[in-house]
Amino acid sequence: MLYVEHLSCGYGGPPVLRDVSFQVDAGEKLCVLGLNGCGKTTLLRALAGLLPCQGHIRLEGTGLVRLPARQRAKRVALMSQFSPAPFDYTVYETVMLGRYAHRRGLLSGESEEDHRAVEESLRRTGVWELRDRPVTELSGGQRQRVFLARTFAQAPQVILLDEPTNHLDLHFQAELMNTLRTWTAAESRCVVGVFHDINLALDFADMVLLLDQGKVLAHLPVRALTPELLNRLYGMDVAGFMKAMLRRWE
Amino acid sequence: MRYGYRVKMLLLLAAALAALLLGAGVGSVAVAPGDILAILANRLTGAPLPESLPPSYSAMVLDMRLPRVLLAFLTGAALAAGGAVMQSILQNPLASPFGMGVSSGAGLGAALVIVSGLTGGALGKFLLPSVSLGFALGSVFLVVFAASRLDRGMSNTTVILVGMVLSLFCNAVMNLLASSSPAYAQRIQLWQLGSFSMREWSAVWALAPALAAGLLFFMAFSRELDVMTFGEEQAASMGVELVKTKRRLLAAVAALTGTAVAFVGIIGFVDLIAPHVVRRWFGASHRRVLPASALFGGTFLVLCDLAARTLTPPREIPIGSITALLGAPFFLYIFFAGRMRR
Repeated sequence: MLYVEHLSCGYGGPPVLRDVSFQVDAGEKLCVLGLNGCGKTTLLRALAGLLPCQGHIRLEGTGLVRLPARQRAKRVALMSQFSPAPFDYTVYETVMLGRYAHRRGLLSGESEEDHRAVEESLRRTGVWELRDRPVTELSGGQRQRVFLARTFAQAPQVILLDEPTNHLDLHFQAELMNTLRTWTAAESRCVVGVFHDINLALDFADMVLLLDQGKVLAHLPVRALTPELLNRLYGMDVAGFMKAMLRRWE
Repeated sequence: MRYGYRVKMLLLLAAALAALLLGAGVGSVAVAPGDILAILANRLTGAPLPESLPPSYSAMVLDMRLPRVLLAFLTGAALAAGGAVMQSILQNPLASPFGMGVSSGAGLGAALVIVSGLTGGALGKFLLPSVSLGFALGSVFLVVFAASRLDRGMSNTTVILVGMVLSLFCNAVMNLLASSSPAYAQRIQLWQLGSFSMREWSAVWALAPALAAGLLFFMAFSRELDVMTFGEEQAASMGVELVKTKRRLLAAVAALTGTAVAFVGIIGFVDLIAPHVVRRWFGASHRRVLPASALFGGTFLVLCDLAARTLTPPREIPIGSITALLGAPFFLYIFFAGRMRR
């Protein structure tokens, strides 16, 4: 459903991404792997429309590159590892902000549909009980669940994840990934994610995109990923390293 | 929740009216609130004045006290609303329109006019405010222009940094002017500390529509402001046209606070305190914070002005020093009382 064709972009200097093409099918969870600086985050930012870029990004036939911000936000949402929360918005208000792109008029208030979407998102992520608490008083894990709820409330078809589980306790990580799995299972939805933790990424995703210095090294199902390919990408014996880590638990 | 909001807003409104009546009543001669209302009614509807009221009171209240308290109120409201918007755009609880060069630009403009000696006469009376407004707008325009040139995304760090550099530069030029023409140095310094002594209706009529227009404009962007407090990238990915919105809001803040500063000089801390206090009571949502900040800022400044002219009669304390004296410790308390609780 999501087609990326000949995408190149950067920050003014030499392009960070060079001629990247791949596609994501409906219901698919794609994770992007690569060394630091290979362009993972840049790819997410380009897909979210935060960077000017060349090439095409099409979602079910609609070109995303030149789409106005609000139209794009109805289709694609970005969840990052850390969101500042400088002021005391309540959890409910915070998640309601996810409905920004869906508002109709300049001065129109929130619709029934907005409230329904917010409640559903809050329940889905298990923070409905916290709805009247200020976000500034929540723990890191709770806060991240609130931001996930806000992402759901945006009602996108594509969710982009930028290391959303960093700084989270293990059980929060697992929970977050499960919630996202359930979300993706519904019709016409997909996830593109960047994770710091390779294990977590491979456990969550169905497909992997390997990026090497801004170019696609490989795009394949997780189960087809060979140790040789990973070693080439990371320049080290990844499987050997993981196994050595595992031995600690024996 | 909504009910609570209305009650709080009404309380704030009542406090604002009380402060205005108090400000207009207290002075070398005290005028009772009832008499002030009677004078107003007489002026507006022709209702007869009470016999007991000396005839000179009417002129004193209408020509001197009322314009002064109203000017103080409008200035406080404008600065507070502008402060709330800046804090949200820059996601920084310490941000202020003054950090964008509004105050130092206006100060430089005022200093130039003062040094040139063109402040007298009917023309001069409006020359100083117009030139300093022009300079305030010019410096914000420069900041925004330079920031978007240096950094296409116009990130907050760039804006803050450029604003700071330009402010320091303008201040340096202003100090240079002051020290090279000692005859005017004191006037320049006094202007910087702010004063409502230009208690004329013309200033009120200039500032009132600016405040009304500015507040309406900010309110129209209240959702964008809400979204933007959670970070620029997030806001953009949630559908806000970031650079465009930011430019428009910054220009509006500059125009509004620049107009206020041009008439009364630099009055600090109102813009910082009001939004913080108000967020305490009303939550963070801008639909409530903006009007409540304006009301609170206006009330606060009317009371500060009252203190400024009554504490050490017959001399007036510069209003800027009062707001700073009260504001600095109060701000520290407000800012940290909340953090300690957590």
